[in-house]
Amino acid sequence: MRKKGYRLLAGLLCIGLLSGCGGNAGGNDGKGSGGNSAGTDTQNAQTGDGAAADLSNIYTGELERNVTIRVLENDTAIEQGYFQELIDAFNEAYAEYGIVAVDANMDQYSNLADDGPYGYGPDVLYQANDVLMKYVDGKHIYPIPVQNLECYAQIPDRAWEAYRREIDGTTYYMAVPVNVQTSMLYYRKDLLPENWETEWDDNGNGIPDMVESWSAMYRFSKLRMEEKEGQYGYMRSMYDVYFSSSFLFSYGGYVFGNNNTDPSDLGFSAGDSWMGASVLLQQASLMNEGCIDDTITVNAYSKLADGTYFATMTTPDVYTLFLKELILAYQGQGMSEEEARALAEENLVMTKVPMLPASADLTEENPELIPLKTMGGVNGYGISAYTKAPNACLAFVEFATSYDMIMRRCELLGIAPARSDVASQRGGTSEMIYQSLEEGNVVLMPSITEVDQIWTPAQSFFSDLAKDAFREPGERKYDDPDKLKAGLTQVDTQIYDAIFTLSGN
Amino acid sequence: MKSTKTLRVMDTVITHVILVAVCFVFLFPCLWLILASFSKSGSIYSFDGFFPSEYSLDTFKMLFTDTDMYNYPRWFRNTLFIASMSCLIGTFLVILTAYTMSRFQFRGRKTIMKTTLVLGMFPSFMGMIAVYIIMTQFGLINKMWGLILIYSSGAPMGYLTQKGFFDTIPGSIDEAARIDGATNFQVFLKINLPISMPIIVYTALTSFVFPWSDFILPKLLLKEKDLYTVAVGLMSLGETEFARFAAGSVFIAVPIVILYFCLMRFLVDGMTAGAVKG
Amino acid sequence: MKKKKMRTEGVSQMFLHGGKNVRASMCLMGLGQLLYGQIGKGLLYLFVLALAVFYFVQRGFADIAGLITLGTKEADTWLGIEGDNSVIMLLMGILSVIAAICLLVCYLSNVKDAYETQKICERGGKPASFREDLKQFLDKKFYKTVLFLPILGVCVFNILPIIFMIAIAFTNYGGTIVPPKLVDWVGGSNFVKLATLSQFSPTFLKILSWNIIWAVLSTALNYFAGLGLALLLNKDCVKGKALWRAFPVLAYAVPGFITLLGFKFMFSYGGPINQIITGMGQKAVGFLDIDAKWIARLIGLLVNAWISVPSIMLLATGLLSNRDASQMESAKIDGANAFQQFRHITLPFVLFSTTPVLISQFIGNFNNFGIFFFLRGGLYIDGYFLASDTDLLINWLYNLSINNNYYSIGATISLVIFVITSLISLSIYTGSASYREEDTFR
Repeated sequence: MRKKGYRLLAGLLCIGLLSGCGGNAGGNDGKGSGGNSAGTDTQNAQTGDGAAADLSNIYTGELERNVTIRVLENDTAIEQGYFQELIDAFNEAYAEYGIVAVDANMDQYSNLADDGPYGYGPDVLYQANDVLMKYVDGKHIYPIPVQNLECYAQIPDRAWEAYRREIDGTTYYMAVPVNVQTSMLYYRKDLLPENWETEWDDNGNGIPDMVESWSAMYRFSKLRMEEKEGQYGYMRSMYDVYFSSSFLFSYGGYVFGNNNTDPSDLGFSAGDSWMGASVLLQQASLMNEGCIDDTITVNAYSKLADGTYFATMTTPDVYTLFLKELILAYQGQGMSEEEARALAEENLVMTKVPMLPASADLTEENPELIPLKTMGGVNGYGISAYTKAPNACLAFVEFATSYDMIMRRCELLGIAPARSDVASQRGGTSEMIYQSLEEGNVVLMPSITEVDQIWTPAQSFFSDLAKDAFREPGERKYDDPDKLKAGLTQVDTQIYDAIFTLSGN
Repeated sequence: MKSTKTLRVMDTVITHVILVAVCFVFLFPCLWLILASFSKSGSIYSFDGFFPSEYSLDTFKMLFTDTDMYNYPRWFRNTLFIASMSCLIGTFLVILTAYTMSRFQFRGRKTIMKTTLVLGMFPSFMGMIAVYIIMTQFGLINKMWGLILIYSSGAPMGYLTQKGFFDTIPGSIDEAARIDGATNFQVFLKINLPISMPIIVYTALTSFVFPWSDFILPKLLLKEKDLYTVAVGLMSLGETEFARFAAGSVFIAVPIVILYFCLMRFLVDGMTAGAVKG
Repeated sequence: MKKKKMRTEGVSQMFLHGGKNVRASMCLMGLGQLLYGQIGKGLLYLFVLALAVFYFVQRGFADIAGLITLGTKEADTWLGIEGDNSVIMLLMGILSVIAAICLLVCYLSNVKDAYETQKICERGGKPASFREDLKQFLDKKFYKTVLFLPILGVCVFNILPIIFMIAIAFTNYGGTIVPPKLVDWVGGSNFVKLATLSQFSPTFLKILSWNIIWAVLSTALNYFAGLGLALLLNKDCVKGKALWRAFPVLAYAVPGFITLLGFKFMFSYGGPINQIITGMGQKAVGFLDIDAKWIARLIGLLVNAWISVPSIMLLATGLLSNRDASQMESAKIDGANAFQQFRHITLPFVLFSTTPVLISQFIGNFNNFGIFFFLRGGLYIDGYFLASDTDLLINWLYNLSINNNYYSIGATISLVIFVITSLISLSIYTGSASYREEDTFR
C-alpha cells in the first residue's frame, strides 16, 4: 500500500526485496496464462476478437452465481476490522446470487504476475497505483468500465489519471481509486514555544509559522538545537526517495518526462531541482547523522513522543503509531490512560506540509513562498485477469467504492479518500490531502514498470547528500550549485543506464 | 619441574581468558536480542544504550495470544513440521550418499564428485525461477510437502563434509564383516552407522537449521498466510513491531538450543578416539 | 583395468556377438530378458518403455518442439487468448530432453544386460532370477540403490534449474520481454554485448577482485577461527566443555537473517554502538554508510565469521574426537611439544578431512549473497555500474537480474563467473590430498 518502492528499499525490510526476488523472478516468467500450466484459473473463455473498448467481452453484465471471490486487502484494513465489515456487508447484499467474498489470505504486497497465471492469485486486489499498473504490460488485470460506476463522477480526474492507460488507441481504466497517500507533517503542539502566538505567527492566521514555512521551521529547529543538546526540530531520514524527491519536484524536477510516461526522459536534474537538493542539505545540517540511514524513519515514533524531535514528515496511515507512542510517553509521566489519550490526541498534529522559499535559501527573511510538491500514490481496487467471475468482481469493486463503504473506511482507518463527497464530509486531513491532489501539489508515483529502477540510484544520491552535511568542510562533495547539479545529473544517468544500457540491442 | 607447572598454569589462564573473550563475543549480541524481547516498550529506541530500561513478559504473551494478524504459534508449528521432515529425510539421504561415495569404487564416481562441487558454484537465486515453475507444474505451490521435497533433495549436494568423515574410518572393519558374509547394506547398518554418530548429529543439526531459518523458498512457494513459516512471518511484521520481532526471533532459537543440548553427548563423546583404530 | 577393457569392447561386441535374445532386446526393451525367462526384469523394462512412450506421445514431443520455437502464440487475457508461455516451454523442453536421455540410457542398459546374460549362459551358467537381481542391489550394486534417489532429486531441483539458466543466457528473456511476450533464442549476442559494453568490464574487474579477496579472507578467517576454537575447547585443562561450547551454539541457533538485521541495526547511526560513541562526546561513525568502503568490508568479514565459526567449530570437534589418540600418545612420549603435535599430526589430519569443507566454505563465501545485501543493500556507488563497492558478484547479479529485470544478461554473467570459479575450485580440489589419496587416514 504505502509506497511499495520505498518500503522495498528501506534497508530494514529488505526481505521484501528478497522475496520479491523469488517472487519477481518467479513472476516474470509466470506472466501470461501459460497454455500448459497446471490448474490455471483461465478466465471463462470469452473468445471475442473485437476491440475491447466496451469491455463487454469481459463483463457480460450477468452476475456469476455461487462463486467465491478472493480479495487481497491491505493489512491495516484487516487489522482494524474494516475488511471484515466490508465482506460481511457485501456477502449479505449478494447472498441471493451465492456470491461470497473472502480474504485472499496472502501477503499484501504479493505480485499478481507471479501468482495469477498459475491460479494462485486473488480475484480482486487492493494495491498502490505503481504496483497495479505494472500488471498492465502483461495484461494481468482487466480494464474496468469505470464510467458506469457510481463513484466515477466523485473521483477527481487527477486520481483517475493514475490508472489510465492508452493501448492501441483505446483508453482504459485499470482500477478504481480509493485512497490517496502522500506526505504529511507531524508535530507536537505542546513543544511549540509558549509565546508562539506573538513571536511565531507573522501572518496572524492562528497557525504557527514553523508548520507553514520551511524557513521558519529551519529557524525553530536551530533554536531548539541551541537550547539543549540532543534536542532537535524537524527530523527526517534523507535517503528516503519518497520524501526527499518532493523537494526536487518543487523546483522543477520530475521523475519521467511526458507526464511520467516517458522513461527515456529522466528529470531528477531538470529545472532548478538542485535548489531542492540544497534545501535538503540545509535541513540535514540541523539534524544528526541518523538522517543518513533509516534511523530517523524508524525511531521517529518514540523520539517524537519523548520530545527529542519536534516534527517529522511521513504518510498519514501511520498516525495511530505516533499516537500510541505518545500515549505511552504521557502514561510514563504518570497520567491515566484516558488523560494520556486525550492529551495525545490534542497535542499530536498531522497537517499539510509547509511551504518552501522560492529562493531555496532557508535563512532568507520574509521569503516568497512556493508550495512543496509531495510525492504521492493512489491505492485502488483492480480485478485480476485470471478470475473466473469478472462480473462478480466488478460488483464487489462497485460495492467497496460506494459512499458508505468509503466513509466507513475513513472512519476506521483515517485514510484520505479519493471520493470528493466523502472527503468534504469528513473534512480535516482527508480534505486537505484531497485538495492538494486537486491543486496539483501531489505528484503521483509514475505508473510505468520502469519506476522500479529509480529507487536505488536516487536513494544513493540522497544518502550521499545527507552525509555531506557531516563531512569535514574540506571534503564536502556538494558545496556549490554546480556540484549539486552534477550529482543530480549523475542520478539521471544511472537510472537511464539501469533502464536502457542492457536492454537495447 | 616447577617451570612446567607454571607453564601449565599460564597455559590454563591464557586459554580461559581467550575462551571468556570468545564467549562474550558470541553471547553479547544474543543477550541483546533476548533482553530486547523482554523490553516493556515495543520500541528499540527507548533503550538506554544497549539494553531496555524496563522489562516485562508482555511481548511473549502477545506473541502467543494476539494471533489475529500474526499467528506465531501457527508459523511455529509449520516451521517445526517442515524442518523436522526435511531433517529426517535429508540426513538419511546425505549420510547414505556420503557413505557410498566414500566406500564404493564405481564408474562415474569421480565425475559425480567433481560435478557436485561445480554445481555448488551456481548462484542459487538465478535458479529460483526454474524451481518456481517446476513447482507450479507439479501443483506443489501452497503445499508444505513441496518445500520438504526441495530441501531434502537438495541436501545430498552437501555430502562432501560427511564423505570426509567416512574417509577417516578405516575400511578394515568392513572387510572383516564382509568376510563374515554380511552384505554391503548390513555393513553400513550394523557397523558404520553406530560409529558415525557425531557426523550424523552434525548433519541432522545442519539440515534442521537450514529449513528452520530459510525464508526465500517458503516465501516463494507458500502464498497463504496460514502456511507461513516463522522466518516469512517475522519478515512480514510491520515496521514498529520490533519487540514482537525480537521475541519471535528469540523463541525460534529455542528448539535449536534444546536440540543441541540433547545431541551434545553424541557430538562430543559419540566416539572415543580409540574405537577407530584400536 | 579389467572393467575398463570390458567397457570398450562392450558396445561393438554386443552388436557383433549378440545372440537372438540380445537382438530382441535391441528391438524391444525387455524382450530379450523375457525370452531368457527373466519375467520380472523383462516386464519392468517393458513397463519403463510403455511409460516413456506414453509420456512422449502425451507431451514429450510437443515439449521438444516447444524448446525449439519457444512459443508461437502470444497470450492475451483480455481477448481470452491462451497463448504460449515461453519460459515454461523452455523448462519443459529441457525436461523432455533429459527424459529422452534417460530412456536412451535405460535402453542401452537393457541391451547390455541381455548380452551379459547371454555370456553367462554361454559359460554354462543360468540367467539370474529376479530375486537374485534384487539382492544384488543391496550388495554389489548397493551404490546404485543408494544414489538413485539423491541423484534424481539433485537432477530435478539443482541441475535442471542450472541448465535452464544456462539456456536463458542464450535468449532475450528479460527487460520488457517477459511472458506473455514471447522469448526467442538469440545465440551468443548476450556475450557479445557483455564484451563490448564500456561500462561493464571496469565494474566486473573491480567486483571480481574484491570478491576473490573476500572469499579467501573470510574462508581463512572462519576456518582457522573455528578450528582454533575447537582445539582450545579440546584442551585437557578446560573443564565444563559443554557449557563453553554452548555460547557459540547460541549464535548458531539464531537464524542468519535475524543476526544480519541485528548487526545492521547495531552498526547504524541510531544503533547502540554509535550511541556509546556519541555518549562519549565523539562524532558518530558511519560504519556502513556510503563512504565506509573498507570499514563496511571489515564489518562484513567479522559478521560473517560470527555466523560461520560456530558450525565449523562443531564440525572440527566431531573430527577431533575421531583423531588417532595412540599417535598423539606416541608423539608425546617422543617429546613432541604441543605445537609440533599440532603441526605434524592434528593439522594434516584435520586439513585432510576438511578439504571438502574448506572448498565448500570457499564457494559459500564466494557466493555469499546475504551479508552485504542485508548490511549495506540498496546503494549504487559512482564508478560502479549498478553496484556498490562492497557488493560481491552475486549481489551485482541480483541487482542486474532481479532489480533491473535483465534475466538473460544476469544468466550470461553467471555463466562467465561460473566457468572461472569452477575451474579454480576444481583444480584446487583435484589437486588436494583428500581427493587424490582418499584413504590416507584409513
